[in-house]
Amino acid sequence: MYKVGIDLGSSYTKGVLVDNNGQIIEQYVVKTGFDFNIAAKKIINNFSQNYQIEYPIYTCGYGRDDLKFETVSNSEIIALAKAVYRLYNKKCSVIDIGGQDTKFIEINEIGQVDKFKMNRKCAAGTGSFIEELAFKMDVPTSDFSKIATDATNEVKLNSYCTVFAVSEIIGMIKKGITIPNIILGIYNSVISRSIELSAISENLVITGGIPDNHPLIVELFKKKFVNCESPANSQFLAAWGCVLLNLNKKTEN
Amino acid sequence: MKVENVEPAKLTSVSALRKTMDDYFIRLKTAVETKNKKIAWCTSVGPAELLYSMGFEVYFPENHGAMLGASKMADKYIPTAVANGYSPDICSYLTADIGAFLQNETPLQKTGFKTVPKPDVLVYNTNQCHEVGDWFMYYAKHFNVPILGINTPLWISELNDSILNSVASQFKNLVPELEKISGNKFDIDKFKYTVGLSHDGCSLWRKVLETAMHVPSPINFFDSAIHMGPIVVMRGTQYAVEYYNILLNELNERIKNNISSVPNEKIRIYWDGMPLWYKLSSMSKMFAGLNTCIVASTYCNSWVFDDLNPNDPFYSSALAYCKLFIVRSDSEKEKVFKKLINDFSIDGIIFHDSKTCSRNSNNRFGLPVRLQKETNIPYLEINGDLCDSRCYSEEQSIIAIETFINQLLSRKK
Repeated sequence: MYKVGIDLGSSYTKGVLVDNNGQIIEQYVVKTGFDFNIAAKKIINNFSQNYQIEYPIYTCGYGRDDLKFETVSNSEIIALAKAVYRLYNKKCSVIDIGGQDTKFIEINEIGQVDKFKMNRKCAAGTGSFIEELAFKMDVPTSDFSKIATDATNEVKLNSYCTVFAVSEIIGMIKKGITIPNIILGIYNSVISRSIELSAISENLVITGGIPDNHPLIVELFKKKFVNCESPANSQFLAAWGCVLLNLNKKTEN
Repeated sequence: MKVENVEPAKLTSVSALRKTMDDYFIRLKTAVETKNKKIAWCTSVGPAELLYSMGFEVYFPENHGAMLGASKMADKYIPTAVANGYSPDICSYLTADIGAFLQNETPLQKTGFKTVPKPDVLVYNTNQCHEVGDWFMYYAKHFNVPILGINTPLWISELNDSILNSVASQFKNLVPELEKISGNKFDIDKFKYTVGLSHDGCSLWRKVLETAMHVPSPINFFDSAIHMGPIVVMRGTQYAVEYYNILLNELNERIKNNISSVPNEKIRIYWDGMPLWYKLSSMSKMFAGLNTCIVASTYCNSWVFDDLNPNDPFYSSALAYCKLFIVRSDSEKEKVFKKLINDFSIDGIIFHDSKTCSRNSNNRFGLPVRLQKETNIPYLEINGDLCDSRCYSEEQSIIAIETFINQLLSRKK
């Protein structure tokens, strides 16, 4: 029997299949859409094809409650912290950049959350900011990182309001600034918004769908912070953490 | 951890509260209809005692703003004020209130008022913010009535005689104008009596709030935010004194019988900043569901003016209204926080950063970080607003609050 953790985020739903030792066996991601049940079912069905899964399903994220199957819901922040600490086993700061939220978490020496903060109520510093600008520039977000590697100059995108950023970019295009340079500016804007959430401790871990899909963002973070890491497939960490939190509970009992 | 909403224990004093508030509005309505008394508009921490002692009925636009917020009507009115030149970034009490006025609507119409009571004079104190002056100026111009004010210095560290004498003089300087408007001669004995009543009401209000020092607490912030009505609008009257005696008795009974406000209180929170009026009920149930009681708050504690002294009414009024939390420097505010954290056995602090009320958002100048360093009490900041619900992300805030409570619980283990 395998356990399943699902992080039902605003943009994507991420699932992990975990064995009894807490090791991830498989992971699967789907677009959330408007029905959390459908998104979660897709994950469960995918895992069920080859594995026997056990209930309850361990959930976190915006859609964590009121699902039509047995669940144990968790805070995505506590779950993410659990997974990060399991990986690195040290005091660190975490910046998680998702579709609609950017989160800062401070994990102490024993793996507890000492402090956390979420982005203010706007798109600045989140995946939505990138997606909106990509839409306006008519460049697929999947090409962003690749295109930005050709950047020659670091341009500064000043506005944190997405609408103002669009007008700022129009101004840049009129001035002849290249798309790679503009995308680099967008990346730096996302980074600036996220690091102003809180003072960063000595070790920094970057997680979330945005760094997974925009690897250049991780590289840019690493230029700013010496002790910066980002594990592969980091968008699945909160889902994994949901399972880990509950594995430990059983051990404690 | 699916969190179920839980109803906190209901206070039976609510019926007495309702009657006390109803009677207050009946007195105001009688003054409107019979013109038996002049009507003064007053800011919520303005010179209510002076106005009551000189025979005015006193109306508080901020109370009206809170009613618009709590009745979820503010969102309907704010855009009207914005369309008429008021920024959505300024006080949403102001924009909701002026917007409602421009639409000729008020929740008071349900109790028989045609409109908000027309003022004969508007009296403000800038101790809380200067925006109240701008707010009152709109109505002073509209109704062509006098506007009087006390300008209190901001960011007070030491409450010295130079500040207090200046403010006391400003209180005294109101008297000749108020005599002309009210048609009543100022009577120092009446003023002393009113200041005495205000002192007594505030002392009782303090005792009410301090019952929450008891673990588990018999009252929570969401109750207090409602039950503070009389101390805001009837400070200086026997009505407030009578009501808080009733409420205090009920709370003391609860303590005696070990009845807590939140059925299974495990976490005790300090709330800084304004209430989110439009979410009062749902937040109350959410926190109760998290076995969490908000036991102390900057907001409710702000109406404890027990420095008022009938033997020295002007100077003590200056002292009481300059000692107010909101008008103090951060270093003084930090002392208050530390005392309340200790007195109320606080596990964590929630700072509500209210988009349109910077003076009531104490998280903006590094205070939470400094406080955590000194007290080791964790804090959470949530973004919202007192009246403008468009500034609040409920989904995001619920996740943050649940996580915070989880964090506090894990520290207790």
